[in-house]
Amino acid sequence: MKFNLSVIMKFTSITKWEFKNTLKSKKFMMIFFLQLSVLFLMIIIFNSFVTNIESDNGISITPSLNGFASMDVLDQSGLISKSINPIINVVPLSYNSSLNNIAEGKTTGFLYVPGNVDQKIRLGQTIDMTVYLDSSDPKSSVVRDEVNSTAQIISQSYSNTLSASAVPQNTTTPTVNQESTGESLPLQIITKVMLVILLFLPLLLFGNMIIDTIVGEKERKTGEILIAMPMSQAQIIIGKSMAVVLTISLQVAMWLIILLIAGFHIDNPVLVFIFIFLTSIPIIGITSVVAAYSKNFKEAGIGLSIAYMGIVGFLIVPVLIYLSRKSFIANISPMTIVMRLFSGESISLVDYGISLATILIVSLISYWIAIKLFERDDIIFGPRPGILRLVYDLITFKKF
Amino acid sequence: MVGFGMGSNEVMIKIESLTKSFGRIKALDDLNIEIKRGELLGIIGPNGAGKTTAIRMACCILKPDFGDIKIDGISIHEDPIRIKSMIGYLPEEPNLYERFKAKDLLKYFAELYGVPKNDINRRIDDLLELVGMTERKDDRINTFSKGLRQRISVARALVHDPEIIILDEPTMGLDPATANSIRDFVRNLKGNKTMILCTHYMAEADSLCDRVAILNKGKIIDVGTPDYLKSKIHGDVILKVRIQNLDVINNYKEQIMKFASVAAVDFVDGEYLISLKYRNEMSDIVDLFGNNVNSINTKEPTLEDVFINTVK
Repeated sequence: MKFNLSVIMKFTSITKWEFKNTLKSKKFMMIFFLQLSVLFLMIIIFNSFVTNIESDNGISITPSLNGFASMDVLDQSGLISKSINPIINVVPLSYNSSLNNIAEGKTTGFLYVPGNVDQKIRLGQTIDMTVYLDSSDPKSSVVRDEVNSTAQIISQSYSNTLSASAVPQNTTTPTVNQESTGESLPLQIITKVMLVILLFLPLLLFGNMIIDTIVGEKERKTGEILIAMPMSQAQIIIGKSMAVVLTISLQVAMWLIILLIAGFHIDNPVLVFIFIFLTSIPIIGITSVVAAYSKNFKEAGIGLSIAYMGIVGFLIVPVLIYLSRKSFIANISPMTIVMRLFSGESISLVDYGISLATILIVSLISYWIAIKLFERDDIIFGPRPGILRLVYDLITFKKF
Repeated sequence: MVGFGMGSNEVMIKIESLTKSFGRIKALDDLNIEIKRGELLGIIGPNGAGKTTAIRMACCILKPDFGDIKIDGISIHEDPIRIKSMIGYLPEEPNLYERFKAKDLLKYFAELYGVPKNDINRRIDDLLELVGMTERKDDRINTFSKGLRQRISVARALVHDPEIIILDEPTMGLDPATANSIRDFVRNLKGNKTMILCTHYMAEADSLCDRVAILNKGKIIDVGTPDYLKSKIHGDVILKVRIQNLDVINNYKEQIMKFASVAAVDFVDGEYLISLKYRNEMSDIVDLFGNNVNSINTKEPTLEDVFINTVK
């Protein structure tokens, strides 16, 4: 195909008209605003959930998180290590070994408590403790929070003890107690994951649009006149897909703005938007494959459900892997990158590269398959071949 | 290769050994035909003969399993995009985008055909006037009757002023008035454009087409001018003699065949159908039946007769 300006114009013409018609559609606008309302509702529910968790009454709805993160400790007095929340697995170790462990990524942090801490407490002096954190580990924020929280509780307890000793009639024995809200949840991580899920939702909400626009051509039998236009099937598929990508981008941008207005802290919202926008391209590509193969809306609906289960798994599982193991390979999911962007982590170019390469490869493969399917006479006009037959044709380079 | 007839001598569409199967069904089997520039070729044939498949391939909507179509010397395998831009295609069903307004629909297709932006509005206004739809230009397609949809479909097919127009059953299911307006429209374009008309209406093919190709089971059975086809099958006129006493029919056929003007004799439902090459001996033939005659009629042969005779 000659790649000239008129070719691009025709491709953008389809995108322009599809996008224009989408925005004109009352049904679409209703769905669009319904989704925004659901987002508002989710923000309200999420905020109240977080508020409850942080309250004295607390709620515990998650399974045990004991040992969620590990921290090496050099604390001869046992002041902190005895009192810290069990979600941190405390490992007593020497100074040098602990620093090596952090460098090698074997532990999330290292807490150093000075040896003369008992004496300083007796004299009412300030105790300087040092926490070393592996900032590339997303669990480091949990470790930092727990150490701070424990230190504050102990400090408050000793202050009370000193005050009581100044009043002779007070004979109660001071003890160090930790205020616990059940098992403290790693709130920051939950917030980040929730935000990421919220922002990735629009990517999965507009699959029906590409189904309508491609399967609709077959069901309404308008595909014939569209294929008769002086443009390739590739231009038709890409033109229609880009209209949906544009719609998704619009929705994501609006959601981002709403979240920012609602007070959620999002580092680098532009980069977050770009990544979500890029992620929508392969997702719509995969949806186009389903649409190109499906005979009717019913079949496309079933295909879409199966495809989206896979997509959701592919997006979320690496995020969970990253949270638990900080695995390098977890960056194949753009969701992991977006979550790390929320954390304000410094992300290496290699990590970006892994994610972008995944987006590029899945996009190329999915659009190639969708276009090849749409180019086949038997797919458009029947009798449609089975999936095994298509795989056979693909392997043997026959017709595909 | 079948290819003689009207129009200029320059071949505009050349179909060579076109073959296409859908699964085990062979839709087209080694189809060959040439169409001259400015000619209107009619394609008639029973359902499933391969008419729509053939024209879909000419429009580059379907790909042949074997063979080629050359439009103005360009192969469909070489530059299908260029070929598509030269053709205005009206499919059998006037399926259009329901949510579009008539004007927007034409604008959309004009953009896809690459009509220069400055010309689009003028071109759309001209076409809407031509198909008598100016007053309905701001109405949505889903408010149109089948006749109006067909009119707007015709306008859509012509929006880029194509050199070739391919019409698949353009008057199918339309009321007589609308069908006639579409036929008039085709008649007006005749000579200026190269056209292919697929139709089930023999009278339509007879009155509009320069040549007619009869397609059956994916093959062209015969092709020629309507007059040529009619004369080939039946001659000049058909004499229909319904006889009174069916018991006395013994040797009529043999006696009739002795006349030099008789091309063929059939006996169907108590009636002799005698094809005559000329009319001079008509009264002598009628005299043969004596008083055993119920009624006598004459009939000009039609394409329908040709069609039934050819594909039976």
